[in-house]
Parts: sequence; C-alpha cells; structure tokens
Amino acid sequence: MSQGLRAILEAVLFASPDPVSTGQLQTILEEVAPAEITEALGALREEYEKQGSGLTVLQVAGGFRMATRPDLHPWVKRLAKTRPARLSRPGLETLAIIAYRQPITKAEIEAIRGVLVDAVLRTLMERGLIRILGRKREVGRPLLYGTTRTFLEYFGFQDISELPSPQEIEALVSSRQGDGTGETGGAGA
Amino acid sequence: MVYQVKLPVFEGPLDLLLHLIRSNEIDIYDIPIARITDEYFRYLHAMEELDLEVAGEFLVMAATLVYIKSRMLLPAHPAADGDVTEEDPRTPLVDMLLEYERCRAAAETLGERENRQRLFFFRSIPLEAPPGGGPLEVSLFDLLAAFRDVLQRVSDAPALILHPRPVTTAERMVAILDRLTTDGMMTFDALFAQAVSRVVVVVTFLALLELLRQGTIRVEQRIPFGEIVIVGAQA
Repeated sequence: MSQGLRAILEAVLFASPDPVSTGQLQTILEEVAPAEITEALGALREEYEKQGSGLTVLQVAGGFRMATRPDLHPWVKRLAKTRPARLSRPGLETLAIIAYRQPITKAEIEAIRGVLVDAVLRTLMERGLIRILGRKREVGRPLLYGTTRTFLEYFGFQDISELPSPQEIEALVSSRQGDGTGETGGAGA
Repeated sequence: MVYQVKLPVFEGPLDLLLHLIRSNEIDIYDIPIARITDEYFRYLHAMEELDLEVAGEFLVMAATLVYIKSRMLLPAHPAADGDVTEEDPRTPLVDMLLEYERCRAAAETLGERENRQRLFFFRSIPLEAPPGGGPLEVSLFDLLAAFRDVLQRVSDAPALILHPRPVTTAERMVAILDRLTTDGMMTFDALFAQAVSRVVVVVTFLALLELLRQGTIRVEQRIPFGEIVIVGAQA
C-alpha cells in the first residue's frame, strides 16, 4: 500500500493549487491512519531529494503543498509573468504589528508606528494577508484586524506560534544597537 | 556649483528619532532632549528646504519634543500628597521608541522570511469546482474589485453625451429587478454593459448594493474566479 499511497499523495498535492490540510487528506484517504499519511509524505519528500527531482513537498499553514526546489528559482522565475511585488517596509512593519498584537485596531497600529496606516492596510487587505476580525467594544466601535491563512502561507509558517518569540526579537534589537549608521530608513517608501 | 544633499527616507518621526539616537550613539534611556530636539528640527528644516512635504506626524513629534524639553527645565514640584517622585517626562517617548524598534526588528525577520519563501513556486491554476458543489459566496471585496474593473473600462471608452439625464439609484434598482424577473439572472458585467459614463456605473453599483442590503437579490460565483452572477433572493 505504501507505494500506492505515496503516488496518491503525489497526485493530490500536484492537482491542488492550495495547500492540502491534513484534515482534507484524511477525508480523501479515509481508510488510512493519519500517521501513515504523514509517513508517506515524508517518504515522498525523501524520494524527490534522492532522485534529484525539481520538486519538493512543503509543510505550511497546517497543510502540505508541492513546490519547486528553491535553488531552481532562477529558471522558474522566467516562466512566471507577474508576481506580486515584495512587501514594502511600511507593509512589513504594519504586518508585524498585526501578527503579534491581533486583534488590533488601526489607531493602535498607528500609535506604535507613529504614522497613518490607511493606505498600507488597504494594500495588505487586497493581498489577502490581513482581514477584519470584528469590531472593538469601545467608542466608535473601530474595526479589528488580524492575519489570514494566506499570511501564514506567504511567509511559510505552519501556524502563528512559529513567529519569532519576543525574546528573539529583543536579541535582534540589542545586536543592532551601536551600528545605527549602518541601517537607516533607506528601503521601502 | 550645485550641492546635492542626500537625505535618507524615514518612515515616520519614530524612525527618524531612532536614527538620530543610534547614529549619535546616545543612550536611549538617558536621551539629551535639548540636543535631540535641535537635531530633529535641523532635519525638518532640511526637508522643507528641499521642498519635501513634511507630514503632519513629524510636526506632532516636534511639538512633543519641545514639550518634554520644557518639562525638563521645570523643577519637579511635589504632588499634593507630598510625593516628590515624579515620572521622567521622557519615559513615554522612550517606551514608544523601544516598541517601535522591536516592531522594526520583527518586520526585518518577516522580510528575510519573505525573501526565502519567494524562492518557492507553486502551481497556481485554480481547479474548477466539481459540478453540484453549489454556488460560491461573493464577498463585498470581490464586488468592489469587480466594480473597479468596470470603472477602469468605462473611463477608457470615449463617449459623447449630449444631454446627460440624471440617473437615480431607484431607477437603476427597478431596472435590475426588471431584468431579473424576465431572465431570472444576470452577470455582473451585463449590469454595466450599457453604462456610458462613470456616473451611471457608480449609480448602478449603488443600486446593486442597496438591493443586496434589502436582501432582494443575491450575488454568487459558480466557479472560483468565475463571473459574478446576480440572482433574485428567492431564485
């Protein structure tokens, strides 16, 4: 069965444009134990590696998806006509605040960044990286924002707990102190 | 002789202040407010001389700095209960700067992840939903995106309008309902097929939103990324 199972998983992952969740795999392969599925996915990835295949299997946002090997990107890149641009610095900063502080209002984000974020929020919404979670129970009932599954997929996180911990961020901050001239606000805008 | 001044672009007042503090190797917990305020103003003036628009938030921070500076000059006056330990007027600003610095670091790690992640490519051709899967829900954002497309098309098409007759939302609502009673459904694009001007497009879209709000009609998509279809609510 394991040979056949591997082929089925390969076919399913190939056919799906989105990551396939373990729940979905379970529905497709109802008679197979979850552990067996995970094992077969691991075997598939190893097989690709051993054959020197151009493909690999990634685990993201609670699911699995097929992807091209990262070192082949110079070639695959030529095939892709348009790709969404890299996020700007304001975009990344706003997204970072939302990711760590969700649910959070626009005013709260602006208090941390010290600038207005209307345009940035619109862009992040359009790219599906954030969504409205509801309204805060306070005067004006402001909208609350949070990250989406697309956010996890875009950054290759399996879930939100994979974000660097506050301690790791703190360590990064202190490692930066003292070389203020090296990194100004050049990028972005 | 022409001087070229190159100023780094700052995302906001906090970004600029952090830069001033770090590049002058100042202890963030003991900021010489007078000196930093001077440097801050020097930068604002440079921006003005270069005809760069100084955003409002930069001015708010300038006012904050001046306020802190004045507070520092005043002797700490004992509170009513005789408690002389007053908060350092710089504390709120320092907290904001530290918080913003963490945000910047977090953004940096996200940026690095983004770069690594962009080396992977995925299949992106959407599968057609299997028949019988039922219509898909259309969100307000899908509608707005479709609406923007229509507006773009309209502005490109030259039209000669002789006597613009005012169009009303009510009129367009009736037109949509008439069409639905005869045909049972219509596509989002068909809705705007005869709209000659942006005004008509906008009014028609408002009519659509109003009908949706009333619950008289429904919008749905038969396949992912397919056409948006309008149907009567009871259909």
